[in-house]
Amino acid sequence: MSGLIEQERYACAIGALQTVVAIPRATPILHSGPGCGTMIAGFFERSTGYAGGNTSPCTNFSETEVVFGGVNRLRSIIENTYKVLDTDLQVVVTGCTADIVGDDVASVTDEFLAEGKPIVHVETAGFKSNNFVSHSNVVNAIIDQYVDRFIEENPVRSEKKLVNLFASIPYQDPFWKGNLVEYKRLLEGLGLEVNVLFGPFSKGVSEWQTIPRANFNILVSPWYGEKIVKHLEQKYGQPYYHFRYLPIGANETTRFLSGVIDFANEQGAGLDKKKALDFIRLEEHAYYEEIDNLATFLLEFRYGLPNHVHILHDAGYVVGLSKFLLHETGIVPKEQFIVDNTPKEYIEQISADLKSTSDKREIPVYFDPDAGKAQDIIRHTSHNGRGLIIGSGWDKELAKEKGYDFLSASLPTPYRLVLTTNYIGYTGGLRVIEDIYDTVLYTYK
Amino acid sequence: MAKELRQIAIYGKGGIGKSTTTQNLTAGLAESGKKVMVVGCDPKADSTRLLLGGLAQRTVLDTLREEGEDIDLDSILKEGFKGTLCVESGGPEPGVGCAGRGIITSIGLLERLGAYTDDLDYVFYDVLGDVVCGGFAMPIREGKAKEIYIVASGEMMALYAANNISKGIARYARQGGVRLGGIICNSRKVDREYEVVKAFAEELGTQLIHFVPRDNVVQRAEIRKKTVIDFDPEAAQAEEYRTLARNIENNTNFVIPKPLTQERLEEILMEYGVIDI
Repeated sequence: MSGLIEQERYACAIGALQTVVAIPRATPILHSGPGCGTMIAGFFERSTGYAGGNTSPCTNFSETEVVFGGVNRLRSIIENTYKVLDTDLQVVVTGCTADIVGDDVASVTDEFLAEGKPIVHVETAGFKSNNFVSHSNVVNAIIDQYVDRFIEENPVRSEKKLVNLFASIPYQDPFWKGNLVEYKRLLEGLGLEVNVLFGPFSKGVSEWQTIPRANFNILVSPWYGEKIVKHLEQKYGQPYYHFRYLPIGANETTRFLSGVIDFANEQGAGLDKKKALDFIRLEEHAYYEEIDNLATFLLEFRYGLPNHVHILHDAGYVVGLSKFLLHETGIVPKEQFIVDNTPKEYIEQISADLKSTSDKREIPVYFDPDAGKAQDIIRHTSHNGRGLIIGSGWDKELAKEKGYDFLSASLPTPYRLVLTTNYIGYTGGLRVIEDIYDTVLYTYK
Repeated sequence: MAKELRQIAIYGKGGIGKSTTTQNLTAGLAESGKKVMVVGCDPKADSTRLLLGGLAQRTVLDTLREEGEDIDLDSILKEGFKGTLCVESGGPEPGVGCAGRGIITSIGLLERLGAYTDDLDYVFYDVLGDVVCGGFAMPIREGKAKEIYIVASGEMMALYAANNISKGIARYARQGGVRLGGIICNSRKVDREYEVVKAFAEELGTQLIHFVPRDNVVQRAEIRKKTVIDFDPEAAQAEEYRTLARNIENNTNFVIPKPLTQERLEEILMEYGVIDI
């Protein structure tokens, strides 16, 4: 049955144009109405990248294109894009109108392909899916239509220590930039080389071209992005290591990295295990030194700190943060809300992952993209002690209403500026601690 | 007192003779002094050729594409046989764009340009064979055409199509005022044609408003880019079209059709020997 939902915290499928924006020197070309790009640029803040936001070329699909088809207009926009923008990769993303009318976009991109242009097309009509899903479609389209052209120079699985990382969805995860950099640093610490593919520390298209060379792939996600690693498994025979939630803090980061070491060596990566474990130990040492430093503060403020938390986020964050907060800060996860429109087939596994957080405490979890409903549940629930809400900027008022502390950590984030902060890893865990207790200290007069 | 404008949509299976029938019957209405506008709603743009004597007609959409929205009504509205006003909506090239949206756009434009004047008695919409999407239902939406006639023959596929179209009409009838005025039989000279179409019409809850016999004078007139009434006013076929025009003029039988189930439709066809068993 159809119904209204409130406060959707992701975008429609064309939101995956940000996947393109996150690749250095790539540009999306929108074959859509002018509103689509504006909506996406507005929803994802600080979203311009190299040639995104208001720089993205757009066909401004309007009535004439609906009636007569928009391929001529698309052709001229692409031609003009080459005159104006100096880019390494162009990805045509289509909006609803173009896909309903049935424009033959491939025939247009094929013309430019014949001239040797690095151009890709992908259907991202909003009626098909949301950006969690279409992120994978965009990545797979680039693999099939671009990366595959360089397969001769990039023999499949030829570099035993090279991995492709698929984790944060650029811009949908507000900490994507910092997270990817931290994943890269940690994995390199183990002795691997990492294609992060997005953000300033990827090498842009030259890095994408080496995707087939990687020995295996790493997927850090409860569900989104799985289509990419499955596609690569089928296409290049690359196996993948799957970690189903975000590794935040020492326990889970060590678990993640240890898993990677074993998997990599099973695949013949030949990592020096002792050296890799030494790296982990050093990271842990630095982490626990800060926890140690925190002890006096925690003791002093023990009656004035939040003791329970509600998180409204995607499944990867909800599970990752719950595990971290319970075991490494003592903040107890109460009702949790997964608002990423999780496909049904993943719900059981995610619930089990969350349940495994504790054998003493039941953590109630709701899967519903309707974050308004989630807020209502929180509104009518009460627990003893000081509460904390980790969610989007839209939850700020609710926290105020409840007298809870509030941490903005998911989209949209109008009350917080995130540039390169990371929440994953050992340092990410410390940053979460800083952020939570900062908001608490701020309330002291 | 202002005249009451009757807006009529003609539907039916592709190739059944909708355009020929529409133009011949509107010639009959025009001859009797009625002011008629014919709006062709088919990307092929061949709905007004006989009324205009083959005059090359620029379609609304071609004009819109080339000149933008600032269009002079005279450039798309041409006067044909006995003052009938003729418009072709037109459409995109086959295989691209959205012809259904094209019809919505062009009817919207006709309204804005003031084509629906007070002196009109009738507007006829001649719509592409199958109502494949919302655009082709445009003439019966939003309170435009209130009357529909379906052109059919005694052939099985024509009746299937007519039944399907009735489903569409029933849907829109529930929301608005659109009603089925009857079935026009454009004879293909199949066995017991009159009986089967009459039985089908009655089963739908409507009437066989006229049985137009097959006569080659229609083709002879078409070759000369004329309606029969224009080409040979004394021909028996001209009188048939005048009768059809009169029946429509005097029609008071408007219903919400009751579409047949597939089984019932096949039963009727078997009963009259259209399907052999």
